[in-house]
Amino acid sequence: MDLYLTEEDIVFRNEVRAFLEKALSPDLRQAERLNPSFLADPGYGLDWQRRLHEKGWAAPSWPAEHGGTGWSLTRRYIFDQECERAGEPHFRGASLKMIGPVLMRYGTESQQQKYLRRILSGDDLWAQGYSEPGAGSDLASLSCKAVLDGDSYVVNGSKIWSTHAHHATMMFALVRSAHTGRKQEGITFLLIDLRAPGVTIRPIVSIDGTHEFNQTFFDDVRVPVADRVGAEGEGWEIAKYLLEIERGGSFAGGMLRAHFVKLCQIAESTGPDGRRAMDDPLVVGRIGEISTDLDANDMLELMSMSGAASGESPGAVRASVLKVGRSRIRQAIAELAASILGPDCLRWDAARPMTPGTGALDDIRKVAPAAYLNSRSQSIFGGSTEIQLEIIARALLR
Amino acid sequence: MNLNLSEEQVMLRESAGRFLAATHDAGQSRDRIPRGAGLDRAMWARYADLGWLGLPFAEEEGGIGGGPADIAILTEQMGAAAVAEPYVDIVVLAGGLIAALGDAGQRAAFLAPLIAGKLVPVLAHLEDGAKGRIDHVITQAVPAGDGWALSGRKILVPAGMEADVLLVSARLGDDIGLFALPTEAAGITRSGVPTLDGGIAADIALDGAIATTLLAPDALGTIEAVIDLAISAACADAVGVMDALLAATVKHCKGRVQFGKPLSEFQALQHRMADMAVKCEEARASALLAALSAGATPALRIRGVSGAKARIGRIARHVAHEAIQLHGAVGFSEEMPLGTWFRRLYAFEHRYGSTSDHLQRYAHVALTPTLRDAGLLREPGAV
Repeated sequence: MDLYLTEEDIVFRNEVRAFLEKALSPDLRQAERLNPSFLADPGYGLDWQRRLHEKGWAAPSWPAEHGGTGWSLTRRYIFDQECERAGEPHFRGASLKMIGPVLMRYGTESQQQKYLRRILSGDDLWAQGYSEPGAGSDLASLSCKAVLDGDSYVVNGSKIWSTHAHHATMMFALVRSAHTGRKQEGITFLLIDLRAPGVTIRPIVSIDGTHEFNQTFFDDVRVPVADRVGAEGEGWEIAKYLLEIERGGSFAGGMLRAHFVKLCQIAESTGPDGRRAMDDPLVVGRIGEISTDLDANDMLELMSMSGAASGESPGAVRASVLKVGRSRIRQAIAELAASILGPDCLRWDAARPMTPGTGALDDIRKVAPAAYLNSRSQSIFGGSTEIQLEIIARALLR
Repeated sequence: MNLNLSEEQVMLRESAGRFLAATHDAGQSRDRIPRGAGLDRAMWARYADLGWLGLPFAEEEGGIGGGPADIAILTEQMGAAAVAEPYVDIVVLAGGLIAALGDAGQRAAFLAPLIAGKLVPVLAHLEDGAKGRIDHVITQAVPAGDGWALSGRKILVPAGMEADVLLVSARLGDDIGLFALPTEAAGITRSGVPTLDGGIAADIALDGAIATTLLAPDALGTIEAVIDLAISAACADAVGVMDALLAATVKHCKGRVQFGKPLSEFQALQHRMADMAVKCEEARASALLAALSAGATPALRIRGVSGAKARIGRIARHVAHEAIQLHGAVGFSEEMPLGTWFRRLYAFEHRYGSTSDHLQRYAHVALTPTLRDAGLLREPGAV
């Protein structure tokens, strides 16, 4: 057992660093520094995606035959670490990480031809239509209806919490096509054009002042049967598949460490009130604890990766432990960063995107309070901490 | 980068687990060693037969050539079984110092009989007033004849009453030297100290005791490094204990029926056990990082080892508390092994430096711009 990079890994890492040095422009770095949210606003996120796409590096997790890079898991990890270190905009959301893999596994050839290319190029931006006002953690109880009428489904109902639906061209949605049997059995996976008649999108503003979430209403929206993925009633299987693959190849370590470095930079800076948080032993102790948490989480990711590389499938428990750990660490970093700003933590910039500060350090300081507010969602979305504990408990108490 | 166990490591883990399950009952282990003795020599001889006493040492010395990760595999099983013999102090720490510092003659005199189970050396380093500093050594070494006269006081020496040889750190000029002092030498007064985890340590007064063996005149750096190796082994032991506490808690909650159903069907308790499982997984990762850092260059070694000691110290305590709590009243009685495991984790937290000592040591190194920016993957030969 060892933690060594090979010579080839080091060469690759340096190649990536050199590329990022040139391609990740100062204004893209600044836009990301000023973003309190997890995902970049598509206004600049798509710009970065396109630059990576030119290099063929937009979707390292995709199979090479569909436009991925064909890299080993270790290379993908190294690439992610370097991109995070450089401060890249986080643009890989529902399009690249969810609907892309679903189409590759369950889509017809014509669906793949039609949609995959447009995801990579950024011509389509996809929103996720899963949660409903009455169906969050209990997703299977969803009730948004789809009724077959000739060669189309007619969709009525509402989806909520769809990130960037207000920018999106398409939405993939789980809809109820039947009421027979168990609630999971009557669910179908549809691709909905958000520009179709009957679609209304209402913004939801978050407690950190950002508009990223939306509620979408479907009023007799027609969806061609050709835009159904998989068979009628196969929607839940597809949703479970997505959960499985998410476990295998997603890394959070690079992103967490990038946030941690910013925390340290804030702590080392002397604030306008003359104080330097790193001089306070209580703060140093707390930063040290977060750092040991981060090292352990990094290690768990590497252990998962090592297992996956030798063909093991990461268990449900390990995946849930990682999710719980990463959201706790993210929240701890954001909370501490905002609390060591002194009186400055009360200054509020309501503009979105935020007005740039006087330099990189100032950007990091001024976004910290909003980033802290935003971080409260980390333990809720993508499978709440309570659901992760349910999953772990079920495996433990079997 | 490879973090999968090799076949040999899997075999070591399984055979050690089987042997210890057959010979140790966690709750009874402290009774095998009546207070007044510090080592079960019969059990120690069985460890020698299994090759465990030679695990960390080179094959040329009669050992097995195992590394920190292999030691950790063994000590994790020892933790779960609440093994009372101070394997880490005798084999990993004292043995490790002899292997690292001794010349051929000294290794033949001390290491070979250790591996054979015939000689018990221990490190006598800690002194009152240390305040967490590893270089706090007041004990003096003064040249005397063909040896050195050692004078000073060492506290809480593990297995100090049972040991045949003390490895004593003492001031030699401006440096800290390490001496091998047989316990039958004159000028040594040992007082037995029962420790909370059921063992017997010793407070030792040295009054001009003559040591003729100097392992190294400037030993501090090596003492620090080998203590780090011992800590990594102790971290794995703690992980074994945490797993055992969780397993016992799950078993108890599934069997205990109150208000018409097993405790394991109450969601609040399910979530608390799930949280214990999260901490066990995280501790396992920390301990592995420690094992893979024990042989690295100082900055990386301190990051991995002190980071793990600090972190596991903190979360192990939470798991221990929860285990007792979820057992209810029976968790508090000495009839169950819970108390043994609980006290073992408490001792872990406070041996080789406290949680907060190690958090400080970690922060000093890990929060520097170079290290905090760097993930865990290393270039070969990284500093």
